Amino acid sequence: MSRRNKLRSLSCTAAALALAPAFAHAALYVTIIQGLGGQTEYERDFTDARNKIEAASRTITDSDKVFSFNGNAATRDAILEHFKSLTAKMKEDDRAAIYLVGHGSFDGETYKFNIPGLDLTATDFKEVLESLPGRNHVLVNTSSTSGAMLEALVGTGENASNPKYVVVTATRSGAERNATQFGRFFAEALVSDTADLNKNQSVSIQEAFDYAQRAVERYFQDAGRLATEHALLRGDGAAQFNLSRLNALEFENELANASDELRALLEQRQAIDEEIESLQLRRPQLENSDYLQQLQALILRSAEINEEIEKLQSGNGGNANNGGRSGGGGIAEPFEISVPPVEIQQ
Amino acid sequence: MKNLADQVLRRTALTVGLVAAMWQLPSEARDQLYGVIDNPALLTCEDQYWSGRVSEAQSCYRNLVNPGTPTAIRAEALWALGDLQGANEAFRAAVDENPNSAVIRVRWGELFKRTYQYQEAFNLFSEALEIDSNNAFAHIGAAEALAEGGGGEEVNQHMSAVMDNLTAAPGARLRGLIMLVRNSLEKDLFDDARRYLNEAKALAEDNEFLPLELHALEAALAFMTHKPYQEHIDAALALNPAYGDAWAIPGYFAMITRRYRECGEFYQKAVEIEPTHWEAHLELGQNYLRLNQVNAAREHIDTSYAGDAFNPKTINLLRLLDTFVQDMEAVSFPNPPQGPFPKLTLRLDKDETAVLADYARELAEASIDLYTERYRFTPQAPIVVEIYPNHEDFVVRSIGMPGVGILGVTFGYLFSMDSPTAQHDPSYHWGTTLWHEMAHVFTLEASNHLVPRWFSEGISVFEEWRTGPIPGRKIPLQVYKYMAEGKFLPIAQLDDGFMRPSYQDQVIVSYMQAGLVFDFIDIEYGFDKIVDMLYRFKDGVSAVEAIESVLGISAAQFDAHFKQFIEVEYGNLLGKLPVWQEDHRASFAALEEENWQEAVAAAQRAIFSYPDYVEIDSPYIAMARAYARLEDTENEFKTLETFWKKGGYEPRALLALGNRYLERGQREEALKVYRDVLWADPFMEELHIRLGDLYLEMNQAQNAIKEYQVLLALDPADKASANLKLATAYRAAGDDAKAMEHLMTTLDIAPQYREAQKLLLEMSRGSSGE
Repeated sequence: MSRRNKLRSLSCTAAALALAPAFAHAALYVTIIQGLGGQTEYERDFTDARNKIEAASRTITDSDKVFSFNGNAATRDAILEHFKSLTAKMKEDDRAAIYLVGHGSFDGETYKFNIPGLDLTATDFKEVLESLPGRNHVLVNTSSTSGAMLEALVGTGENASNPKYVVVTATRSGAERNATQFGRFFAEALVSDTADLNKNQSVSIQEAFDYAQRAVERYFQDAGRLATEHALLRGDGAAQFNLSRLNALEFENELANASDELRALLEQRQAIDEEIESLQLRRPQLENSDYLQQLQALILRSAEINEEIEKLQSGNGGNANNGGRSGGGGIAEPFEISVPPVEIQQ
Repeated sequence: MKNLADQVLRRTALTVGLVAAMWQLPSEARDQLYGVIDNPALLTCEDQYWSGRVSEAQSCYRNLVNPGTPTAIRAEALWALGDLQGANEAFRAAVDENPNSAVIRVRWGELFKRTYQYQEAFNLFSEALEIDSNNAFAHIGAAEALAEGGGGEEVNQHMSAVMDNLTAAPGARLRGLIMLVRNSLEKDLFDDARRYLNEAKALAEDNEFLPLELHALEAALAFMTHKPYQEHIDAALALNPAYGDAWAIPGYFAMITRRYRECGEFYQKAVEIEPTHWEAHLELGQNYLRLNQVNAAREHIDTSYAGDAFNPKTINLLRLLDTFVQDMEAVSFPNPPQGPFPKLTLRLDKDETAVLADYARELAEASIDLYTERYRFTPQAPIVVEIYPNHEDFVVRSIGMPGVGILGVTFGYLFSMDSPTAQHDPSYHWGTTLWHEMAHVFTLEASNHLVPRWFSEGISVFEEWRTGPIPGRKIPLQVYKYMAEGKFLPIAQLDDGFMRPSYQDQVIVSYMQAGLVFDFIDIEYGFDKIVDMLYRFKDGVSAVEAIESVLGISAAQFDAHFKQFIEVEYGNLLGKLPVWQEDHRASFAALEEENWQEAVAAAQRAIFSYPDYVEIDSPYIAMARAYARLEDTENEFKTLETFWKKGGYEPRALLALGNRYLERGQREEALKVYRDVLWADPFMEELHIRLGDLYLEMNQAQNAIKEYQVLLALDPADKASANLKLATAYRAAGDDAKAMEHLMTTLDIAPQYREAQKLLLEMSRGSSGE
């Protein structure tokens, strides 16, 4: 996990403010828009995904910075008004994460996200993203035909521009019109240990995207069907932009109950983690052996500090979870095999 | 004739590709005329050519390429000289000049046929028949073009139009008879071949046709019936010393009867006496491939391509050879060999070697050792196993052309097969395919490639069931229907089921019957008798003779005993099949409806009727899934265990069973189950995690390393965990340098990974003496 983002996640707690005053003003604003389901089944799936995203977002930013629109409240006017207000409120260092959960449509020219009343169009979202202060924003559109929106936001082929924001779409074009699976897997990734590939207890845009993409592929493979959706990710910094924190509760407890000694150790660990990140950025300029030697030394120091933190926590009868994680999963759940019965030819 | 004129115009557009493609082909790309044209000047050239006076003939043909020669004859001369573009243009002009000539269209069609454009050829023959519905050469041409394109009832209709008409042109009848001889030889119908050949020879003699092809076919018949054949080849060569087909035609029949060593010798001689016989070069090249002589193969296929760049088979094989070089690698075991040659060579796709090599080696070596003992035969060359991730590459490698649904093909000491990644069919079990093909190596080589097809297939199926990675009879459901209908063939005719299937499922029915035949012989007479019979084929005896001499009973007695065996083994089941089918269907239907209790009940009923059905749609699967949903872990476990013990192989079911064994502390059983999954799907990441973890728990660090290496080779998403596992295994094996290498890879990906940090601390303190 990027140290910078980690510190931003700390900013949501009082304890973190003390640790990272330089980043105290930065904030993450999350907006989740649940569109019309049309059918009970979709309504249920979309609500489930929205709930997961909401809960996951609250692990990484304050609850009052998580905004959710669904049902009759999810109107075009209300949503655009919300973004106006957000634009006024946000500062240059702040970031925005926008999730669209629902159905989309594309008539060959205009992408529309389906909500009650007038739909929201790709142009609407382009204007919103352009108007928000700063450039570290993400738009995750999990709807059918969402690839068409990507086209509108960043263009295609030679005309494609590098957006000042990250855009994730569930489909690669407006031609992929079937209801998508990507959204539920993306939401699932935000609360999944499996998605956290760098074991930093946070799930980045890139990790969530990779997780969902793999899950979609497996879904169609298991069902023995050709995939009707192919997700895309455009923009820089997806690996550094965290969307959720997996051990948020333990981490907050840790900070809330920290002694001076523990706080000092946590600060030391932060400093070392920042050094590791800096070293990794300088890797191309270093000989491999030199890089590995320096990395080993830093991680060794980080490991020693973690050990001291654990000792302090266990001495206090506290939770020994210090932010690291275990590898491997448990025993498999009930297995599923989708095999149609074979007919005996008569 | 508007219709025909339109067709000619259309062809003008359609033949653009042909004109561009047909720049030069050798004169042997033409067949004998057999009277289709009676132009004396052309016939003079033809006589010179077919008697082997090639230079004289070319000079003769060149003399015909002048404006004074009729256009159609000029086309023939240009064709004979290898100027196919010129010939094509001349034929088009000749048709324009003679719109009512069926013969010119027939000959133009022949040109298309000889350049592998069978549909265009067929269209021209059809046009000729519109002009002259009795044109026997048009009928024969149409039949040949259709046969090349896959055959069908229409072939018979065109053949009948000639063969049932005694007044049809003798040359056309001769070509019809030659087709019938070839067809009979391809189907091992030697009596029919003899009859047609005699008729053809008489016809050729009566009409003074040069019997070159007939001598070559005589040689092929003699070769296939284990009689002296050289005299027939000599007879052809006496008429034309440069007639490569004298060898190439027997070569073809050696190839289709899997006698690849003789096949190579025949084609070699064909190209020696006729170096421009491009098709012989191609077949020789493909045969070298079968014998694992890749460089020699390349040389002849390249030669063939240089002479005839448009044979699709040549192009396919050249692409395959590129794949050999670019994408595949060969690894031999043991390395270095403990003897004159390695025991085994695996040719694998470079992307799959790290995953498949060890498992393929383990299975191949186990089967070699087992078959060496069981069949009293020690391989005299390295056995080469090729495993293709691309099914079409495998098929091209096997038969030269794509689009055929086969899983494995054995050529002798070399066999090729589909990788698990080549097949989307979830029932594909690569371990069984390897086991099956390896048995062919032994039956082919021990019998000097003279074993009948049914015998070789039957032993391979029998070995799958008896000694393979998932023992137990696996009989596809549809076979029972035919079994119940009494469709099993008498033993003397069992090869027909493979070579001349008369209904859609007959090949698979024949496989199963052949497997059951050996189960029967093994039970009733003992396994040694099977091996004794196998060795009888080396002497060229028939299957019936082998049965009579080894088992001491007639074929009819054998059939009667076998029928009784089937009745005892399956009589009861056959009566219950309709009920079983209904219960089977009901179990999965209930599962879909999430009616878990009903799924269990229906599956129980199905299992009661037919407890041995353990394919991927087995009722055991339905029952285990339903129990899992009912949270009845004990019954889920018992169901999965029974499924596995009866030979069930569905990977996810076995993985679940392995996990259940682990939960119960039964590590040895878990290990066996997990290892069984390897032979079904070695590309499952979770399998290698489970196996590696289990080996580590069981203090088998080297085995754990192997599994984790495979895991990494599968390019898992979670590379940090995979590298940490490998580091841990290396640490357990005492190789701290490798452990540190993988540990640092882990920490480079995931610097805050606490477990990895702990191992780093542990190793650091260990090395500093803390």
